[in-house]
Amino acid sequence: MDVSTQLEVKQQSLTVEKAVPLEFDLALLAGFDINTLDEERLRQNTDKYLKECSRNGTQLIINEIFKLPTNSTEDGTFAELPDQITKIPREKPVPKPKPLTRWEKFAKLKGIQNRKQSRKVFDEATGEWVPRWGYKGANDDGTNDWLIPVPQNAGINATRHTRNLEEGARGADQKSAKEELMKKISISKSATASIGRFDKPLKGEPKIKGVKRKFDPLISDMNKEKEANLNIVNGLFGKKDKSDIINARKARNMA
Amino acid sequence: KPKTARSARALKKREPKVQENTKTAIFIRGSQTSQIVNAALADLCSLKKPNAVMFSKKNDIHPFDDETPLQFFCQKNDASLFVVGMHSKKRPHNLVFVRMFDGQVLDMIEIGIEKSVSLKDIKTSKCQVGMRPLFLFNGEIFDKSTNHKMFKNMLLDFFRGQSTDSISPTGLEHVISVSADSNGKIYFRVYIVKLNKSGQRTPRVELEEMGPSFDFVIRRTKFAKEEVYKKATRIPKQLKPKKVKNVDVNEMGDKIAKIHLGKQDFDKIQTRKVKALKKRDIDTATEGEPKDEKEKVHKKVRIVG
Repeated sequence: MDVSTQLEVKQQSLTVEKAVPLEFDLALLAGFDINTLDEERLRQNTDKYLKECSRNGTQLIINEIFKLPTNSTEDGTFAELPDQITKIPREKPVPKPKPLTRWEKFAKLKGIQNRKQSRKVFDEATGEWVPRWGYKGANDDGTNDWLIPVPQNAGINATRHTRNLEEGARGADQKSAKEELMKKISISKSATASIGRFDKPLKGEPKIKGVKRKFDPLISDMNKEKEANLNIVNGLFGKKDKSDIINARKARNMA
Repeated sequence: KPKTARSARALKKREPKVQENTKTAIFIRGSQTSQIVNAALADLCSLKKPNAVMFSKKNDIHPFDDETPLQFFCQKNDASLFVVGMHSKKRPHNLVFVRMFDGQVLDMIEIGIEKSVSLKDIKTSKCQVGMRPLFLFNGEIFDKSTNHKMFKNMLLDFFRGQSTDSISPTGLEHVISVSADSNGKIYFRVYIVKLNKSGQRTPRVELEEMGPSFDFVIRRTKFAKEEVYKKATRIPKQLKPKKVKNVDVNEMGDKIAKIHLGKQDFDKIQTRKVKALKKRDIDTATEGEPKDEKEKVHKKVRIVG
C-alpha cells in the first residue's frame, strides 16, 4: 500500500458516517444522535448493535473533544471545554448579593488586594527558602534561646543602686510607720458608697476629725475684701512669665 | 446558629452559592423491593459515587403520593437527587428518579426495569470512582417526546459529576449510552472507553461493556411548574459570559477596537504658542507697547546702576 492509501485507511478508522450530524454539549461531554435506529438489528442482536452504535457515537464525541483548544500545565494537557448549552436546573436558588462589610467597602475603595503570604521566605544569607515564622524561622532573633550571651547593658544600674541604698538606710521609723498606717486606714474608711458617713464606728477607734472650712462673714471690712480679690486676680493674670493657660483646679482652690 | 468553627464551615458549605456544589444523590428502598431493584440501586449508586448515599433500611416512601419524607432527607443530607426503588404487583421493579429545588420536589419520573444485568455479573474491569462519564443519547424520541426529554435532562444531571472548565483525555474512562426505539423503550448501557492509537492525534475508540445494563420503560412523570423551573434554570449574573464592547474582528481576521474620545474643545487644544495670536484688547494694543519698552529700559538702567 502506498502512503496515500495508508493515510486513507488511517483516516477511515476515525470517520463515522451519519445521516444527521450529531449535536454536542461538550461541557457535559455529551453527544445527541437523532438518527433513527435500525429496529430490526436492535431486536435481533440488541447488545451487539447497541455497542456498535455507541462506539460510533463515542468516536464522534472524542473527535470533537480533540478539536478543542488545549493548554498544557505541569499536570498534563487539558482540553478547554466550551460553555454549557443544556439547561440543567440548580439545586438551590441563586444567592442574593450580600451587602459589603465596612472593611470590604474600604478595601474596594483603596484597591487593597488580599494577598496571602507564603510560608517560605527566601533568606539571602543562606540562599535557601526558610519558614517565615516558627521552627527555624527567618524572624527568630535568638533572644528566646535557652542560652544567650550576656547582653552589653548587663551590670549594675549605678543611679538606681545608690537611690535604693539611701532609701534602705532611712529605715522603717516606728512612729512615722504608725502614723502612715492610721492615715491609710482613715482614707480607706471613706472609700465606701456613702463616703464613710453612715458606717457604724468600731469599738475603741478614735473618731476621725474632718477639716473644717473657715468662711469669712458675708459683710466685713471692705478694704480687706478688695485686697483679697485683687490678690486672686494678680495671682491668676499678674505674672509676666505665666502663660495664658489657667489651671482651673488651682484657680478654684485659690478662690 | 453555629457554635463551633466546624459547624459554621458545614453550614457555609450548604448555603446557596453562585457556582454550586456537585449534587448528592440518595438511593432509598421502599417498603417492598425486589432483588432486581436492589441490584439496580446498588449499581446506580456506584456510578454516582462519591456523591452518593445509599440508605440501607427500607422506608415507607411513595414519592407520587407524599413528598414530605423526600423533603426531610433533602434537608438533612443536603442532597437534591433521589432514586427510590420499589416493587409491587401493579408496578414491578420500579425506580423513581426525583430532583429537588430549594428543598421542594422539582420533577419526578417513574421508570420500570424490564431487563437488567448487574455490575457484578459483567466480569470486566471497572473504571475509577469519581470519573466524569461521556454521554450519548441515541434516538430522535429524545428530542420529540417530553417524557424522554425530561429523562435525558435527569440522567445528565444525575451522572455528570463535578463540573470543570477543562478535561484531560486520560480522564475519559467510561461512556453512558442511552438509546431509545420508536416505542419509547430505553436501553441504558455503560461501556469502558479504550483510546487506541490511530496514527493521528485523535485516537480510535473501542468500547467494552462495563455494566450495569438496563432496559427501561417510562411509567409516570411529574413535571416541574413552569415558574419554578424558570427560577431553577436561572443563570446568575456572575456566570453569564461577559460581553466585550467596542471590539470587532474584521474580514481579514484583525482585531479592531473603537476608542470613544469625548467632544473636543477647540479653544483649549495645546498647540505651538505664537504671541502675536495671543488674545488681548484691540484698544490697548498700540498704547501698551511703548510703555513696556520704557519700563524695560528702566529696568535695564537700574540693574546697571
